[in-house]
Amino acid sequence: MGAQQAEVGSRAMTAPAPARRRRRRREWFLPAFTGLVMAYLFVPVIVMALFGFNDYRGRFNLVWQGFTLEHYRNTFGIPELTESLTNSLIVAATSTVVATVLGTLVALALTRFSFRGRAPLNLLIFVPMATPEIILGVSLLALFVSVQVPRGMMTIIIAHIMFCVSYVVVTVKARTTGFDRNLEDAAQDLGATPWTSFWTVTFPLIFPGILAAAMLAFVLSIDDYVITTFLAGGTVTLPLWIYGISRFGVPAQVNVIGTLIFAIGVVYVVVSVLRSRRANAPPPVLTKG
Amino acid sequence: MGAGARERGGKRRTSWAPYLLTLPGTAWLFVFFAVPMATMFAVSLQEGSIETGYTLTWHWPTYAEVFDLYRLQLFRSLMYGLIVTLATLLISYPMAYWIARRGGRRKNLFLLLILLPFFTPFLIRTISWQFVLADQGILLGTLKDLGAVSESFKLLASPVAVVSGLTYNFLPFMALPLYVAIERLDPSLLDAAHDLYSSRATAFFKVTLPLSLPGVFAGSLLTFIPSVGDFINAEFLGSSTTTMIGNVIQREFLVNVDYPDGAALSFLLMAGILVMVFLYARSLGTEELTG
Amino acid sequence: MDERDREELKRLIARHPRRVSRRDLLRRMGIGAGALSMAAWLSACGIEGESGGGGGGENGSGFSTNKVVGELNFANWPGYIDKKGGGSPTLEQFTKETGIEVNYQTVISDNLSFYGTIREPLASGQEIEWDIIVVTDWLINQMANLGYLEELDHSLLPNFEANAGEIYKDPTYDPGNTHSVPWQSGITGIAYNVELTGRDITSVNDLFDPQFKGKVGMLKEMRDTMNLVLLGLGINPEDATIEDAEAAQQKLLEQQEAGIVRQYYGNEYLAPLANGDLAVTMAWSGDVLGKTIGNPNIKFTVADEGGILWVDNMAIPQGAAHPIDAHKMMDFVYQPEIAAQIEAWVNYICPVPAAQDILKKANDSYTRKVASSPLVFPTPEMEERLHHYKNLDPEEEEQWNALFDEVIQR
Repeated sequence: MGAQQAEVGSRAMTAPAPARRRRRRREWFLPAFTGLVMAYLFVPVIVMALFGFNDYRGRFNLVWQGFTLEHYRNTFGIPELTESLTNSLIVAATSTVVATVLGTLVALALTRFSFRGRAPLNLLIFVPMATPEIILGVSLLALFVSVQVPRGMMTIIIAHIMFCVSYVVVTVKARTTGFDRNLEDAAQDLGATPWTSFWTVTFPLIFPGILAAAMLAFVLSIDDYVITTFLAGGTVTLPLWIYGISRFGVPAQVNVIGTLIFAIGVVYVVVSVLRSRRANAPPPVLTKG
Repeated sequence: MGAGARERGGKRRTSWAPYLLTLPGTAWLFVFFAVPMATMFAVSLQEGSIETGYTLTWHWPTYAEVFDLYRLQLFRSLMYGLIVTLATLLISYPMAYWIARRGGRRKNLFLLLILLPFFTPFLIRTISWQFVLADQGILLGTLKDLGAVSESFKLLASPVAVVSGLTYNFLPFMALPLYVAIERLDPSLLDAAHDLYSSRATAFFKVTLPLSLPGVFAGSLLTFIPSVGDFINAEFLGSSTTTMIGNVIQREFLVNVDYPDGAALSFLLMAGILVMVFLYARSLGTEELTG
Repeated sequence: MDERDREELKRLIARHPRRVSRRDLLRRMGIGAGALSMAAWLSACGIEGESGGGGGGENGSGFSTNKVVGELNFANWPGYIDKKGGGSPTLEQFTKETGIEVNYQTVISDNLSFYGTIREPLASGQEIEWDIIVVTDWLINQMANLGYLEELDHSLLPNFEANAGEIYKDPTYDPGNTHSVPWQSGITGIAYNVELTGRDITSVNDLFDPQFKGKVGMLKEMRDTMNLVLLGLGINPEDATIEDAEAAQQKLLEQQEAGIVRQYYGNEYLAPLANGDLAVTMAWSGDVLGKTIGNPNIKFTVADEGGILWVDNMAIPQGAAHPIDAHKMMDFVYQPEIAAQIEAWVNYICPVPAAQDILKKANDSYTRKVASSPLVFPTPEMEERLHHYKNLDPEEEEQWNALFDEVIQR
């Protein structure tokens, strides 16, 4: 997904093809269809958000019984839920940072150098993405079992870094591929050391790609249930806690936390759209690709 | 070594730089992806139990045994994966097409809107579907009150529910590559096609669709593979008769603690996926595996 | 080693506590006098799983420590302790009185899945993070036989000796309460939504009534479902043979093929029962009796053919880091006032009979109702209708599991 996301940012300003009149006339089906699909996509989210305001009694938040803000006031009133959220945030933050660094280095090497071993490297990066999550999880479990590593926070982080690295490489690569190396050469001709030219020219240019990759890694990590379940030992992350409690009656605080995470997504969308609007203005000199 | 200096500008970079840059990431993937896969392969050929310990006896019959026991679940998973891929394709293509070609300056907004629901955690979304599809829930309850379906009609605990859940959850994996592929097409080429062929349908099938095939292929992989291996949707939305291979593997590892059986099943699943992907790639005539 | 020796080995290891097993096993296999040195060699190679859990042995109890550390990691099932606000009064009181901080986690949603998370570290002699786990009687039996549980020091459990109900002392699954003391006990019976069934449910066979097609729930725990179905077939589960188990499987398969059963559940049958997806379901007494469902149409019954009585027990995993703290907690909940406080919220069967009188004096009518319910404090008549799980040896267990797996994973 990440590659495309980065792609989108850079292609935003492509002018639409001049639409011809005779085509315009009949165009109601596609927009209507798109609208329907989007409505479908939002159904479970709306339900989730709505029942975060439900003033329910007892264990089951299943029937609408009235509006309340109680669960928002008391979002962190369930210590175990809060702890699992904290665990998830620690795991996601750590694995995002490590995976982003590791993945960015690989992406830089892949786009800026030609070297022996590229093909197997590309394969090593691609195959984890094409492996079902359950297999990633159980194979790591098999490894940790055979070398007798106890499962816990550390093993979760190791796994999350592993499956995030590939996505980071792909996302950052999409950004660096279109990058014009003349700029860096120019900087060096002007007397900059390779180190300086990297930090003053290259890095700012690929930074949006790195940011998108980090975002993606964070989302992948915080949402992962399948791989984590095999490697958690006694550590409970947010998805694991929700899974456990879903057998028993999901408290509205879960809806609230889900809604808050969704809200972060909304902010991200708004910011991205505003930024791409601004990008529609004449681009800064250096922007290319 | 020494091949690094071929590219422009490479002359200033010593040839070990790319290896240094890739080393940490590669090492990580090697140790925590390649090695585990090899370990799991060894485990699949072991015998024993958790109490007696496992010993590597190159016991190949495990594969035949687990295939025999669970082929139904294996084929069911591949079948569900196929249906899900097809369904996401049919739903996403028109939408991706419209956004890419007619989205204008709101393209970005539309695209992010597709992504937005997926900021909600996967499990919460699935539990939310469980709620929506309940027998007396907001969907069926309403339809039943209207008399549109019979009182005993149910969606949950059926293959339909599992496949819809999977379709929902993996939709963006199809929609995004499709969008990128269609958006990349040269508008003037499509205009030429419209001029060349009399009907829009012909123009679409002769030009647009073939040119967007790489996107179709990438999207299909990204949808098919995770949905075949999924077990959450089957667990929350299905019943005992919709058990997927993921559920079986999960149970073998986490409940029965039978590592050899679970490992052998995992490799059978991989094999099944590879065969399907290979056949698919051949039929599309594209070699572009990495999308 | 030929195949039969392997089998013998597996069986022996499965049956005997680890400490004894190696020597015993070698003796039995006729290796004789050299056996001891062989055992020493095995343990030198790290094959011996358990090394007394840290500094064990010296203090005589075999515990990793014989002092209160001030920390306790407690793994339990969801909804199995009293709650108020965000915390539990019982746990808060415990910390206040003993100074022991409790890390209480509801990580157990079914016996086997939880066992799966700790089994492999236990088998290889690694310490697991829990000091107290709560699992059902048959699993206590299995784990104790494998040497996965610490022996309890009953001198640290005076309240248990004084206040536990007689039927909870010296149970068949754990003679002398050597490894466990009950947390709660409960009954596997039938819950139904009278609005959807239109009648009262009285028989196990109502679970097989085509009238409720697609609205019947069964349990995913093999023992619950198989034993209850056996009762429905008129067989006392405790005497069941493998043929009887096959008959029960047949009945379950027919129920499935006719589309009568909707799904096999763990605790998660509660939500579909509450929202009307299920009309009749196998259920555990305390879940449904609780005020938590909030639907007056939902009732729990012990069928005419009988119900299954089981006991969930607290136990200390081998090598636990805080065994004395764990004993403190085990004893703490056997004070009648504390037991009553937990019971008023949990509504399973209380192992402390004296809690009944305390609950009867409660101010609110709901608690008084709990106090007089035969499902919380079983009357002699109720006790007569209750059966125990069949005790399965490892071989039978494997057979029964295979039969049941065929039903729930189609």
